[in-house]
Amino acid sequence: MARIILISLLLTSVFIANGQDDLLSMLEEEIADETFPVEATFKGTRLINGHSIETRKKNNFDFLISHRFGLISGGAYELFGLDQSNVRIGFDYGLTDYFNIGIGRNSFEKTYDSYLKYRILRQTSGKKSMPVSVTIFLSTAVETLKNNNKSVIADMSYANQILIARKFTPALSLQIMPTYVHFNKIEATQLRNDIWSLGAGGRLKLTQRISLNAEYYYQKAPLSDNTFNSLAIGFDIETGGHVFQLQFTNSQSMIEKGFITETYNDFFKGDIHFGFNISRTFQLAKE
Amino acid sequence: MRKNLLALVFLVGGITSTYSQKWKVSSAEVEFRSEAPLELIIASTQNVKGVLDFDKRQFAFIIPVSSFDGFNSPLQREHFNENYLETGKYPNAKFYGNIVGEFDANSNGDYEVKAIGTFDIHGVIQNREIKSIISVTSKGINISSSFLIPLEDHNIKIPTIVYQKIAEVIKVEMRAELTPI
Repeated sequence: MARIILISLLLTSVFIANGQDDLLSMLEEEIADETFPVEATFKGTRLINGHSIETRKKNNFDFLISHRFGLISGGAYELFGLDQSNVRIGFDYGLTDYFNIGIGRNSFEKTYDSYLKYRILRQTSGKKSMPVSVTIFLSTAVETLKNNNKSVIADMSYANQILIARKFTPALSLQIMPTYVHFNKIEATQLRNDIWSLGAGGRLKLTQRISLNAEYYYQKAPLSDNTFNSLAIGFDIETGGHVFQLQFTNSQSMIEKGFITETYNDFFKGDIHFGFNISRTFQLAKE
Repeated sequence: MRKNLLALVFLVGGITSTYSQKWKVSSAEVEFRSEAPLELIIASTQNVKGVLDFDKRQFAFIIPVSSFDGFNSPLQREHFNENYLETGKYPNAKFYGNIVGEFDANSNGDYEVKAIGTFDIHGVIQNREIKSIISVTSKGINISSSFLIPLEDHNIKIPTIVYQKIAEVIKVEMRAELTPI
């Protein structure tokens, strides 16, 4: 009997002894039951040359200007490539937070491009934890250089990707990009219409507003014997509504079918293009 | 014999649970305003966890900082989370401590009290004393409060380029309805 009373007194004193820490841990348990989306895996919708899993939010309109200069190995005579320049002018638009469309025009091979981008999975933390974000990317490009092709269809090519990314820490995000490129018509010197590639890349935040990015696309069976895998190293610099991306890459083209399959320079021989992307985001309508 | 003892244990348990008057937040809104020369930024959240023990005169609140929405653009919200509050590293804002001042949870009226305790935002802890109103009505208990947070106190740095767009001191307003637990 005495023992039971002792136990019940003990229990009561436990209840009374519980203080603020108890209240706080009660709330912390409640929070642990919730799920939170992981935000801002990358600063921009482009990793470097290619897309990141990020999509523009609904009604956001993005104006992008990208440049790739000539080869740095051209030396002082070519001002390290700055005498030549390829330009892509592009527009991206968020139809919803998860569905984006975009168009662009490239001076390189006078190519028009368009894409659809749909985010199908979002990384989350908390109770229902989802380890990765996944975005589907479908693009079409048309070369409009004067050539012997009788139809526009023959000048068309497609690049389709599954972008899979994970933000491991606030500073480190990694992405892999299985890719399929198809050319409707290839030249006699080229080997195949269908090219499979696996890309990998990531970003490492150096400061709150500057990150170091890298991107590489591996091809087992390339378009032709004289192509190289695309490699790019760059920096993202963010200032308010702008993101500046500066990069060094062996690729001249700024669209998927081009830089993944039609890179003719060897990065490690110093055949590198300096370039930059500038994006300015406009909010067209408030929700 | 055994039955009696069990009853005693339950009785003692029962007494302690009625004795401690714990109330929790059933619905709430916290809004902050940054009033700078070039830009007004307003954001709010309803995701407010809170529990008050009127008997021990203790309280605790937690807000997941990434739940704040509003802002002037989605990009601004991203910068709030990524660059300023760093919600990946410091996900929750916390305030917990003691209720000081005259009030009676069992009789209707508005009571002005002080919430004195630990204020934890952006991983920086400050001791704060915040005036609050506890309104006891026949329907229930509401609390409301408005206070200021100097960004410097919590090591939130504003780059000079946006100095005219973000206020150095943020105004916060909160109101919450409570239900007993």
